[in-house]
Amino acid sequence: MITDSPRFEPFSPDPHAVISESGEWIAPFDLDLDDDTLRGMYRNLVLARLIDERLVRLQRLGKTSFVAPGAGHEGAQVGIAHAIEIGRDWLYPYYRDTGLVAAIGWPLEKLFGQMLATRADPARGRQMPAHPGSRALNVFTVASPIASHVPPAVGTALSQKIAGKGDVTVCTFGDGATSEGDWHAGVNFAGAQGAPIVFACENNRYAISVDLNHQTGSGGIAAKAHAYGMPGYLVDGMDVLACYYVMREVVANAREGLGPALVEMAVYRYGPHSSADDDSRYRPAEEVAAWRLRDPIARLRRFLERRSLWGDEAEEGLRSEIAGELDEAVAAAEAAGPQDVDTLFEDVFAELPAHLERQRERYRLARRAAGEDG
Amino acid sequence: MRELTIKDAINEALHQAMEADPDVILMGEDIAGGGGRDEHPGAMDAWGGPFGVTQGLATRFGRDRVMDTTIAEAGFFGAAVGAAMTGLRPVVELMYVDFAGVAYDQLLNQAAKVRYMFGGKQRVPMVVRTVVGAGFRAGAEHSQTLYSLFTHVPGLKTVAPSSAADAKGLLLTAIQDDDPVVFFEHKRLYMTKEHVPEEAVPIPFGKAKIVRAGKDLTIVAIQRAVQFAQEAAEALAVLGIDVEIIDPRTYSPLDESAILTSVAKTGHVLIVDESYPRCGLATDIAALIADQGFDSLKGPVKRLTAPHTPVPFSPPLEDAYLPLAPKIVAAARALLRA
Ligand SMILES: Cc1ncc(C[n+]2csc(CCOP(=O)(O)OP(=O)(O)O)c2C)c(N)n1
Repeated sequence: MITDSPRFEPFSPDPHAVISESGEWIAPFDLDLDDDTLRGMYRNLVLARLIDERLVRLQRLGKTSFVAPGAGHEGAQVGIAHAIEIGRDWLYPYYRDTGLVAAIGWPLEKLFGQMLATRADPARGRQMPAHPGSRALNVFTVASPIASHVPPAVGTALSQKIAGKGDVTVCTFGDGATSEGDWHAGVNFAGAQGAPIVFACENNRYAISVDLNHQTGSGGIAAKAHAYGMPGYLVDGMDVLACYYVMREVVANAREGLGPALVEMAVYRYGPHSSADDDSRYRPAEEVAAWRLRDPIARLRRFLERRSLWGDEAEEGLRSEIAGELDEAVAAAEAAGPQDVDTLFEDVFAELPAHLERQRERYRLARRAAGEDG
Repeated sequence: MRELTIKDAINEALHQAMEADPDVILMGEDIAGGGGRDEHPGAMDAWGGPFGVTQGLATRFGRDRVMDTTIAEAGFFGAAVGAAMTGLRPVVELMYVDFAGVAYDQLLNQAAKVRYMFGGKQRVPMVVRTVVGAGFRAGAEHSQTLYSLFTHVPGLKTVAPSSAADAKGLLLTAIQDDDPVVFFEHKRLYMTKEHVPEEAVPIPFGKAKIVRAGKDLTIVAIQRAVQFAQEAAEALAVLGIDVEIIDPRTYSPLDESAILTSVAKTGHVLIVDESYPRCGLATDIAALIADQGFDSLKGPVKRLTAPHTPVPFSPPLEDAYLPLAPKIVAAARALLRA
């Protein structure tokens, strides 16, 4: 049956997909995206992957201290990015979402500036690497304590509800995060208040070394939505278009005042949990290899190729174009130079209080006495 | 004589405590690693936490006693309270002290108060092991110490070893203690080594250590600051200043008399702590000396701490943030006008 507009069933036993592994359109509705949009999504997938590879390299070179690789999550992240109105809606990402903030157009120089803590970092070198945030784009600064961004995301959604302009919030997290009290407190509050928020879980089946079956007895994440009175959707996270369409539907519902939703995207992290982890110690290599075969980039490429929208030449051109952009952004981020030590004392409060002014002065004198700057 | 790192000394203390007492159990995120995936070789005990401190324990004692928990600190801290009340001696791991917020109520209002509120008829013998400290390029939410958040609370004991032998002996005491203990492990000290006795010899709480004896200036140093103070003492010795370094080792209980005795001897004191200054340990110890050691002072009580700001990630900012040895030397010279 062909329906004229997409509608997805909540709590489906199998993940929703709209393109098959071999790249065929399999949804019961017509594709309504133009060619440029499709190519734009593909570009964002490749961009996320290449940023990831670059960050791992920078970490190995000792230029940054921490990386949380996102390869394997791109389908979910790019699907989310294309389903929101950037700069209007609010996004509460988590530390694996570098690809997501890149896909919404956060300038690459800033992204690398954050990783390297140079003056190119709008957060002024305060946040640990892989913790992006952008006031300009309404992106909450990533919180290190797992799930502690969920209640604030609900608060932002409540504020949007009261403002009544139809803006929404999207809050992302991993499967492990759904164990935290803050997660339950936030999701329950959103359910009780009908807040315009979408909770998007990038379920990669592991929380560092602990697999999903030891994280929860509920088997999956979408099912948890039942208890909080909202629809829960299970989506194939390796299918970027499925992620996009499901997100588009629940974002539209939230905008119209129909309340929150929980979307579980089944993804896989190809790499270690972070640059400090060795995943080969707790995951069978065959499992990783099997998931890599389901790659979201390859899948969309097959789809585009079937429609004659992509080919080797375009691929080569895109990759070298992005590589050039990354080279430039890294160079610019590095050239911005380190943060000035004086800035250490700023932004604790709106105004510099007297005690911090005194401490800053003492630091200046000490640095001068030690023959450092000035 | 064999030497162990702090990391291995803690691991050995856990092994020996679990060997000696079947009631000792461990709970924490990824402390075994790969829980449940027996089909994957090595999965039984893959990880041992982010610093590998608990490696080998799941293999040795099984997963009933070495539990990978869900990511819910409030959940497993609270579970530890209930288990401790009914016969077990849980040792729980808080991956970084910065995450204390999500679990704090279980410590503040349960662990610390159950004995009191039960009229002394119920004990809560649990230990929270946690990782603290800056200097790891890990930013505002992975670098704090927060000793004072716990030391402030009546009913909690707090311990912060700066050497491997102390780490082992104090952890053994913590596990045997019938009250809740928070045990701080500094991430930048894990690899420091020294001779550690093979036997399980507990070190009593409330006994400071004189790390270096001297006559001109007392430096009370908090955990990693002991290392900074030792470096500074070398430099000050060249200038003819003879420094005495006191490591309190436990903050609750605090060995007040060791601090006051040293100050009575030297007449000058500098307290060094990488924590926030307001309501912190350095401030607490300064108040003690002003209150009870005033007559022996030949100069002001001085504190050297981090500035009262969050810990920055930017490497030059973080380096400027810490009370490293050169700052101690400068502060000591200013204090002694030398
Ligand atoms: C409150 C808190 N507890 C523990 C940690 C340590 N930690 C960092 S990431 C992580 C695993 C999270 O797994 P998941 O939510 O599934 O996301 P993934 O990393 O798999 O994308 C843990 C336990 C933390 N950052 N915050």
